[in-house]
Amino acid sequence: MENSDSSEQGGSEQPDAQRRRQLDRLDREEAFYQFVNNLSEEDYRLMRDNNLLGTPGEITEEELLSRLQQIKDGPEQSNTNESRSEEAGGPEGQEEGSNGDSLLDWLNTVRRTGNTTRSGHRGNQSWRAVSRTNPNSGDFRFSLEINVNRNIAEQQARNEEGEQTEGEGEEPVGLGAEPEIPMETTEVVEEPVVEELAVIVEPEPELTRPEAPSVVQPFSHQVQAVPAPRPRGVPVTPSFSYRVQVPPPPTVDEPPRRPPVTQSFSQQEQAPPPPRPTAEDLPPPRPRAEDPPPRAPMTQSFSQQVQAPPPPRPRAEDLPRRGQRRARSRSPEQRRTRARSERSRSPLSLDTEPLPEAVVEGSSRTRQHVLSRQSTVEYDAQLGGAATVDPPTAPQEAEPVAGEGGAAGRRPPTIMLDLQVRRVRPGEYRQRDSIASRTRSRSQTSNNTFLYESERGGFRRTFSRSERAGVRTYVSTIRIPIRRISDAGLSEATSMALQSMIRQIMTGFGELSYFMDSDSDSSDSNRGPNPPPEHGEALHNPDAATAGTAASATAGGGLGQDSAEPRTDERGGEGGTPAAGAGREGRAGPRGPISLEEPGSLPFLRLAHFFLLNDDEDDQPRGLTKEQIDNLSTRNFGENDALKTCSVCITEYAQGNKLRKLPCSHEYHVHCIDRWLSENSTCPICRRAVLVPANRESVV
Amino acid sequence: MQRTTRLKRELQMLSTEPPPGISCWQSEGQIDDLRAQILGGVSTPYEGGLFSLEIKVPERYPFEPPKMRFLTPIYHPNIDNAGRICLDALKLPPKGAWKPSLNISTVLSSIQVLMAEPNPDDPLMADISSEYKYNKQVYLEKAKRWTEKHAIQRNKGLEETKGQMQSKMDKPCRKRDALYSEEHQDDSKKACM
Repeated sequence: MENSDSSEQGGSEQPDAQRRRQLDRLDREEAFYQFVNNLSEEDYRLMRDNNLLGTPGEITEEELLSRLQQIKDGPEQSNTNESRSEEAGGPEGQEEGSNGDSLLDWLNTVRRTGNTTRSGHRGNQSWRAVSRTNPNSGDFRFSLEINVNRNIAEQQARNEEGEQTEGEGEEPVGLGAEPEIPMETTEVVEEPVVEELAVIVEPEPELTRPEAPSVVQPFSHQVQAVPAPRPRGVPVTPSFSYRVQVPPPPTVDEPPRRPPVTQSFSQQEQAPPPPRPTAEDLPPPRPRAEDPPPRAPMTQSFSQQVQAPPPPRPRAEDLPRRGQRRARSRSPEQRRTRARSERSRSPLSLDTEPLPEAVVEGSSRTRQHVLSRQSTVEYDAQLGGAATVDPPTAPQEAEPVAGEGGAAGRRPPTIMLDLQVRRVRPGEYRQRDSIASRTRSRSQTSNNTFLYESERGGFRRTFSRSERAGVRTYVSTIRIPIRRISDAGLSEATSMALQSMIRQIMTGFGELSYFMDSDSDSSDSNRGPNPPPEHGEALHNPDAATAGTAASATAGGGLGQDSAEPRTDERGGEGGTPAAGAGREGRAGPRGPISLEEPGSLPFLRLAHFFLLNDDEDDQPRGLTKEQIDNLSTRNFGENDALKTCSVCITEYAQGNKLRKLPCSHEYHVHCIDRWLSENSTCPICRRAVLVPANRESVV
Repeated sequence: MQRTTRLKRELQMLSTEPPPGISCWQSEGQIDDLRAQILGGVSTPYEGGLFSLEIKVPERYPFEPPKMRFLTPIYHPNIDNAGRICLDALKLPPKGAWKPSLNISTVLSSIQVLMAEPNPDDPLMADISSEYKYNKQVYLEKAKRWTEKHAIQRNKGLEETKGQMQSKMDKPCRKRDALYSEEHQDDSKKACM
């Protein structure tokens, strides 16, 4: 092939320089093919999956070799902030505070390399992002925490660290390596508002039905870290959880309590400790910036994913719990109930239902479970088992939960974005669609949680399009547990509104604040007495440390109440959720939004934006998963084969070329067809579906 | 990935055995910027006209379709004022029908066919489309007039070298704009895409 190329070149009348360049390129190309042909199946997959193959002709063999080497070594290192740099994202990778684009790149990069943590801060906001990839399932999890420090009010946060650590221990992942971060968290935010946005986007896992996502258990404050659990090793569904938690200002007292429960939260919190003192000064930049450390929490989640294991789960719930003290009456039990109810409610839950009960004991876990529901039943079973097993943990969790509300209040407002992505296989996608169509939005007043499943896939998006095939992900569903969705009712109209809201949120911090407001409102409404304005004030007035505390306390109380209420409501009539929700909504009045100091300053949001915004892309072509591609037969082109040309690259096969044969009998170079199939599911020649509709599972 | 190699091969094929009525070449040595000309089909209102197209080859080609547009104004239900073409082969699935086994030559052939057989049911230019459907005579006349005005004169260019073509090609565009401003109209009716 190469020869022919060279001749072609010769034919053209290009300047010598150009010709030389092209010749070089051809040489490299030849080397590339040779390299690919010599790769073992595993190595090839590794390289392909990590998008290390690059473009023939543009990459030298040496480069390929080094990449292969790196990737081989790389996986083990759990945290590779730097390591991943090798690939594309490299440059930005470690930098903090990079812009959105870099974040994206980073994300892409991360995917290839494995796990990465990145953090940075801006103004009074600090963020930390951790990504993890499960090589086996291809699931990708991305967590983003954004802390906004308003006032340093108190340093209480620090105390939490200890707790957090615990969580870390749990983390299976390598993150542990990194010490917790020294982040200084600054924040003691006084704002009472706690918003938790959990958007879980679940692409459907192959096996399981993605829908499960219903999990959302959005206890309001409690963070629903939940999504994380993808225990089943397998086909975890990707869940996208977007949590925005804005913990109300932490009160000093509480700090200690926070159990590490929510790791994520904990991280945030933890991080801060050292710095706290500073915090008072307004340590706006949250600590984490540099630290890789954050991972701990994230890791946990990851770990969860990996191992369904109970241990991790707790964290999700934990966060919120701190609040408990506060008056919030939430008893763990209540929570549990909620969880259950939630589960049951979730449309997806179908399979999962059983779990919930089991879970109940583990209350906190339940949430996780919930998330997991998405995963197949098996998974659920596991969870259930875990839940039961865990009892010990459960208690912890429970406590934390109780505290959640309070904790949230005390903690600085944090916005968490937890993304779990899994590539959706075509079949899945369909399911998802169906699921999506069923979508419903529910608001659970009791929880304040709002579960939104969009129909039309409103929220589901592809994140795609990144050129790296591997990265492309489709998210089928996003559930957003928002404590309260604005005043709008649960009705469909609402859903629309929510959509837009969420979008906005994702789009910018400013919008986030808006969201937060709504939450606060809800709390207010619950509280009745507390005017929303207070929150805002608290947030804004740094000086009012004391005031802030007080406010936070109240807020916390309010939150607790809210949560409690919701729970009760749920208990009372889970089925009746809607009604409850309505009631709530009614209460909640529009309130002034809490203004964030630097709205839109977070680059991350753009990321979110990236992930969530393309409704129109529903029709995008869906590719196959690596597993699916790997299942297609391959062979080596032999000498005896008749001359044939790969119709993708229009190059004749050469001896030793690896060919992949599709079910329709059409063959292509593996590297050619794999790339196409990563984004499309039909044969480039006959357009026949490569996958038999078999996996298309009937929609539940 | 395989863009360069593939394009090289395609260009070679295009130069050695181009589809009838079609020619394609690199624009100023840019491998990803090509120019093509399609000869209006016999017994179509475009007969005798030579229509130039601009072809941009995306980085991801052949995994993404080439981007093609008419540089020469053409009165056609599926081609808009900017020369954009409503053709499934130019779009990725699931909406489109692009696939890596297609190539520039085949897509140009498809465009040639489209010129001869407009698809009024998937119109880019709603008014031309309805004219084509319900008042074909008018459409034919207008199309012919446009061909004479914008495409036939270009025949002289046939002998020009490719490089010269390039410079010439800009003209039609400007003309096109002017033309539309006077003769048309709002694109609001566009349906395709």
